[in-house]
Amino acid sequence: MLNFLLAFENLKFDATVLRHTLNFLWQGLLAIFVVIGLIILAVKITSLVINKCDEAKKKREVEKNDSQNKEA
Amino acid sequence: MDFLLEGFKAIGANPKMIAMWIIGGVLIYLAIKKDMEPALLLPMGFGAILVNLPLSPVIGDPSVNPDEHLGIITSLFKVGIEASEAMPLLLFIGIGCMIDFGPLLSNPKLFILGGAAQLGIFITIILAALIGFPLKDAASIGIIGAADGPTAILVAMKLASNYVGPIMVVAYSYMALVPIVQPAVVKLCTTKKERLIKMKYNAKQIPRLMRILFPIIVTIVSGIIAPDSLSLVGMLMFGNLLRECGVLSSLSETAQTTFSNIITLLLGITISFQMQADAFLSFETLIIMALGLFAFVFDTVGGVMCAKLMNLFSKEKINPMLGAAGISAFPMAARVVEKMGIKEDPSNHLLMHAVGANVSGQIASAIVGGLILGLLGIYA
Repeated sequence: MLNFLLAFENLKFDATVLRHTLNFLWQGLLAIFVVIGLIILAVKITSLVINKCDEAKKKREVEKNDSQNKEA
Repeated sequence: MDFLLEGFKAIGANPKMIAMWIIGGVLIYLAIKKDMEPALLLPMGFGAILVNLPLSPVIGDPSVNPDEHLGIITSLFKVGIEASEAMPLLLFIGIGCMIDFGPLLSNPKLFILGGAAQLGIFITIILAALIGFPLKDAASIGIIGAADGPTAILVAMKLASNYVGPIMVVAYSYMALVPIVQPAVVKLCTTKKERLIKMKYNAKQIPRLMRILFPIIVTIVSGIIAPDSLSLVGMLMFGNLLRECGVLSSLSETAQTTFSNIITLLLGITISFQMQADAFLSFETLIIMALGLFAFVFDTVGGVMCAKLMNLFSKEKINPMLGAAGISAFPMAARVVEKMGIKEDPSNHLLMHAVGANVSGQIASAIVGGLILGLLGIYA
């Protein structure tokens, strides 16, 4: 407890600790937003691919139906 | 007849134990009377009494005192938490199973709010380090702001923090305080006009393939960028894959109910190992409580401010209150935002958007936990 009270008393400006932890702050926040950005990008691309595949599948089915109707 | 008095003598030698009984009683009271996280606070409260009884055999440890037998709580702690952090990690499987990422997938930009709502963690680390905590303890205290008990336990244990006990107790107690802390902070950070912003919810059908691929994508991306987060994120996403795969419904149901309940029950009583009077009752515990609150407040501020910033660049305005749901306390934070929205305007339902932000916070906090472990590895 005494150490802590002394720490409060000596709460001047420890530039080394501040620099260290500020590095922590910007690197941590940058990293989390990079991860999130990549996940959003991957989700968007996957959604796009899935939608395109669905559309192509529907188109193929329509064409197949049309050709069957013509043959009939 | 002296043996009958041994217990009283031990209390006389260490009266701090009585204070821990009172703390245990308060936790049990909060769990039963106030319904605050009862699944955890009740076992923790009872455990606090159990481990602080004189000559308690439940915390016997032959590696410390060869005359003692290995106590049940010591055994659970050593195996379930200390050796591999198994309990918090296994709990993440259950949590992953409970989460529906649909609202997030229908509006992926809400993910940004989950990231921004981790700001308080880093600011608290700075403050704790400036106060005089060693960096590993400062980081463990900061992670209380993740509002995520398992992540807080895992990070504090991995960093071998000297304050694991207070951190665990504060992390779980403050999660229960979300409905009290957040509304005040949100009101301070937003105007009435902003709180009235209405958002349309486009309940589009998310393809099943997308729901299955999402947990795999998140695991791969976070594993590559933040490998230290992989144990947390991996378990969370494994649970979610069980839910979404559609072929393991009985496993998914078990993970959501029985499995989660068993782990929660054991985790609560096991955490009490860290609540032994000598280690727990200190001035530092009070400081950790204050710093934990600070982390919660600044997480909420970070999320709300990020939503405001996004509104500057976006055509479709986001209700800034959603930023508050970016913290990991699931689903409490989302419910708080919904209630606040309805209070401002009874026709303004924000729940689904808030759930989207909330589940993104769940992922983001696990990733941040891993990032902190990685960063501390760099600076250590």
